[in-house]
Parts: sequence; C-alpha cells; structure tokens
Amino acid sequence: MVALRRNKNSEKTMKRGASQWAVAWRRFKKHKSGLFGLGMVIVLLAIAALHTVIAPYPARPAPDSFKPLYEGEAAQPPSWKHPFGTSVMGTDVYSEVIHGSVYTVYVAVTVTLITMLIAVSVGIVSGYLGSYVDDVLMRITEIFLVFPSLLFILVFARLYQLRNPEPFWNIFGINVPAGLTMVIVILSIFSWASYARVIRGEVLRMKETEYIQAAKSLGASSRWIMLRHVLPNTLSQIIVLGTLTMAVAVLLEAAVSFLGFGDPNTITWGRLMEEGLQDLSTVWWVEMFPGLAVFLTVLAFNLVGDGLSDALNPRLRE
Amino acid sequence: MIDMAQPLLEVKDLVKYFPVYSRGILMKKVVGQVHAVDHINFAINECETVGLVGESGCGKTTTGKLILYLERPTSGEVLFQGRDAIKTFSKGSGEEKMRLRRAMQMVFQNPYSSLDPRMTVFDIISEPFKIHKHVSSNEWKERVYKLLELVGLEPYHAERYPHEFSGGQRQRICIARALAVNPTFIIADEPVSSLDVSIRAQILNLIMDLQNKLGMSYLYISHDLSSVRQISQRVMVMYLGEIVESATTEKLFDRPVHPYTRALMSAVPIPDPKRKMNIILLPGEVPSPVNPPSGCRFHPRCQYATSKCSQEKPVLAQVDVDHYVSCHYYHKFI
Repeated sequence: MVALRRNKNSEKTMKRGASQWAVAWRRFKKHKSGLFGLGMVIVLLAIAALHTVIAPYPARPAPDSFKPLYEGEAAQPPSWKHPFGTSVMGTDVYSEVIHGSVYTVYVAVTVTLITMLIAVSVGIVSGYLGSYVDDVLMRITEIFLVFPSLLFILVFARLYQLRNPEPFWNIFGINVPAGLTMVIVILSIFSWASYARVIRGEVLRMKETEYIQAAKSLGASSRWIMLRHVLPNTLSQIIVLGTLTMAVAVLLEAAVSFLGFGDPNTITWGRLMEEGLQDLSTVWWVEMFPGLAVFLTVLAFNLVGDGLSDALNPRLRE
Repeated sequence: MIDMAQPLLEVKDLVKYFPVYSRGILMKKVVGQVHAVDHINFAINECETVGLVGESGCGKTTTGKLILYLERPTSGEVLFQGRDAIKTFSKGSGEEKMRLRRAMQMVFQNPYSSLDPRMTVFDIISEPFKIHKHVSSNEWKERVYKLLELVGLEPYHAERYPHEFSGGQRQRICIARALAVNPTFIIADEPVSSLDVSIRAQILNLIMDLQNKLGMSYLYISHDLSSVRQISQRVMVMYLGEIVESATTEKLFDRPVHPYTRALMSAVPIPDPKRKMNIILLPGEVPSPVNPPSGCRFHPRCQYATSKCSQEKPVLAQVDVDHYVSCHYYHKFI
C-alpha cells in the first residue's frame, strides 16, 4: 500500500473528499434565518436542561395539593421580581414557562421519533417493495389520513384519563408523566401517515435510479438496498420532515392541553394558557407569555426546517 | 467464432410485455401491453463484443435488464454457459444466484446517477466484496486500489465522493465496481452516450483493453453507430422489440440489407466534406409498441413495402455467412 500511495499527488493522498453532509453544513451556515432558528432551538434546549437552576421558583408540587403558592402576590403584572407576572393562584409565570420547556422538548423529540420511525419504515418498505405490500400499506395509510385526527386525539386522551391511571411512571429513576406520554403516543399515531406518503414518493423516484439497479445486479438483497442505499439517500428528506414535525407536535400538544384534554398532572405551556383563559381580561400576561413561548418555539423549528431543506435540497446546489 | 460448440450467452425466444393499466376505482385493469422485447434470439461467444443498436424505446435496455433478471421476462430462455439463468435467478439457491451474479455485470448509461451519492468511491467499489464475501476484509484495500489502477484512476480517488468526479471518471468507477466481482460478461448499456466526445474514445479504449487483459465478453448497447463499429465484432439491429438484422460488423456496415439498417447507416456522418451523403429519410414516426403493426413491424415506414409485408411476419433468414435479415424481400437488397 505504501508504494501505491506514494505518487505525484502525495499531498492530495490523505485528503478525504467532502461528504454531502459537510457540503450541506457549509450551505446551512450561509442560511441566516436557519442559523437564527438553530440558535433559538439551542437556547430552548439549554433552558430545558438547566430549568431547575434558571427558574427563580420551584415547579408546582404535587398537582393534587392545589393551593396558592406565593400568597399575597397573586395576579401581579410583570415586574422585576416576576418578569412574566403572576397568576390568580399566585404562581410565578416566568418559572412555570421555564419548567414547561422540559415538557415541550420531551413532546417535540418523542413525537418526532415515533412519527418518523413509523413513517420511514412504512414509506421505504411500501415504496421499495411495491406490489401487494404497497397496496396494503397504502390503504392503511389512507385510513389514517382520512381520520379527523384532532377529534380522535381528544377522544383518546380523554378516554385514557378517565381510566385514572398512575400520574407518573418511574423509568430508570426519571419521573415520566404518564398522561403526557399517552398524548404523545396518540399524536404520533395520528400524524405519521402524510409523512409516510412523502417518503414513499421519494423512494419510488429513487427506485428507478441506476445505482439501485446496479446494487440489484450485484445481487444485493432488498433489505441491503433499503438499509444501505434507500435510507441514507432519504435521510435528508427525513431530517427536514422531522424538524417540521417537531413544530407541528409542539403546536398540537399545546392545542390539546389548551382545550383541557391534556395531562392534568403536567404544567405544559398549553395547560398554562388554559388555566389563564377565564381571567384573560384581568391577567393577560398569564396568557401571553406561554403563548409567546409556543410561538417562538414553533418559529424556531420552522426556521431550522426551512434552512435545512434549502441546504439539503440537491436541486438548489451551486 | 472459434468456439462454435457452446456460446457464452444464448438468448432464446425472449419476450417482455409490460402491462398497461387503466386505473379503476378499486382494481387496476390491464388494457394493453407494451411489446418491449418480442421473441428475440441471439448468442454471444467468449471474448466477443456484440453490439445492439436501435433507436430509443426499441427495447435495447430492456433486453439487457432481462438478461440480468432486473426485469422478469414474460417468456423465453437465457442460457449462460449452457445453464438456464432465468431459472437460477428465480428459483435457484442463494449460492447459485450469487455465482451467476458474479459472472454477469452491467455498466449503466448515466454515470451521474449510477453511483450512490452518499458513498465514497472506496465504499462503492468494495460493496461487491461485502455482498459476495468472496474477498476477505483485509484484502479489500489492496483490491480496490488494484481496480482503480486497472480503470486508470489514482489511489487517492478512493476517499472521494462521486460528485467530485467528471462524467468520464465516474464511468471508470462504474466499470471498476462491475469488475470487482470478476465477471466474464458485461452488459454495457450506452456507456459513452452521456459523455463528451473527447472522453468517449478513452472509455471505449478502456473497455477494449479490459477485453484483451481479462478476456471479457460484452453486449454493447448503443444508438451511436460509430462507437458500435469501433468496438464490436458483431452487430444486431433492433426495431420495435425485434431483431431485424444481425451480422459481423464489416458486413453490416459495408453491405446492410434490411431497409431499416440501410436508413440507419445512411445517417452515419462520413468525415469527408466532398462526399455527398445520401440520407434515406424514413417517413412517419416509430409506431407505438403498445399496438405494433401487423406483419413486418417496419412496413408502415418502408418504401419497398407490399401487401405481403403488412400481412406476413418475416423470419430471420440467412443471407450470407454470419449475416441474418428479417425481411421478405432481402434478395432485392443484397
């Protein structure tokens, strides 16, 4: 090998070519709004990670022991002491928004993971294998597409709460809110279908490309081709869809909680808005700041998704 | 032509019809068939290059894919080294299938889409080793560098991605990948048609060099007659899914018999400005392969056609040693 490697282009010898990911990152770095969105997402993650440190007041204790926490300071407008004001119950909205960010991140990440897992598997298998597998999987997908999903989400969320299960699951020492997790599962089950169709379309286009044909003529199995060629080449599409799913998931969870169908044991941003709704005319800040948090988060994910889709879209290559 | 006993590859009565669907509410209905490849017969000997020419859509590429079982034939036989390849691919054991895959490879038309953009050249060329496991992993590196050298690339190219190469270089990578399994037969599907003219000669020379070095046989599919003339020992002319003429290269180019072949040949540019060209212009368009003409498929565009041509299907008749034509009136054109 040494002899082979020593040639006139020796300085080029060790240089590894730029992968498509490196090229995409270079392009993303030039995308101003995408970078801005990424900055916002990083801030959100930092807040969620450090919520116990940043928040001036602790999270609400056991939700059943429902009582005013900071008596005498109820319904205060925003001030230096309470930047986002206090609610009629006397809770500090600023602290609650910060504690709520953990749930937001949890919802965004898990809904996206579950949704994409189902969508990618169905999309790739259906698109690549075709024939009757495609027919069966696509009919199932269509059933999920025509469901009035929000209605189903609300019904299932309420059904689950009526069973009144334990409020938290202890998984590896972490208290995972059971109700919220169920909402997440229900959200995921009702949102993968459209993504599966997008990915299937992409796979159908890719199936006829010559590098797939070449792999077939080399004797590669369908599984090999799906995992080694189809999946890596749909990954950019999946990443963009995933980022947009995060935005949709945050929005949907906020909507479910706002309508009062969320997990009663977790104080998410949607839940905060629901609580403040009846006193909207007097304590507008209880409504506005969690709303703003939802808005900024959704905006951030959308900006990142936009930037990524520009950076990864091969048709816009310089 | 020495080994007349058993050709390397024999195609017998190969047929591929693609169904045409009309979309119903629930069920798809077959409303017709595209006659892509219609009862073709030919053979390729060892160390021989056979050219397959015809205009786009006449079934050349489908023929190549059928041989490799990338498309499932409607009927017919493909014999490779005397054994039924279609049967092996559809029903054979894993080991038999893989052995046959190693024997036959394909180089595709478009080098820009035949390399996975997410893989480095090293990964692309070593993929056959991973699939076939015929080379132990500590030899991969050496083998990849050897293959790169064989196709005229440098070792440092191995760490690069396809988008960093020119079309000609990519086609070399495709050839290296095909060679990685030590095949004896390669189907080259228009390997130079998407390359610059200046690069074409290099790739053609590479293909011919490999034949001398490794004893390769080729089915060279193309619509570019001059490259076919340069590279093939024998040429077959295809029209609407059928082979209309087949002969050694010299005979076909010097004395084409079938009216379609003659029209094709007249379109080849001659590098002599003084010589007057007699281009035979064919009237009309290529008929739809969904509804091919009766009798001789060429009759609606043939100036010599008679009523017999529209009713009776001509058979491939021998007009000379190694020269076969499918035309009722071939004796007029000899």
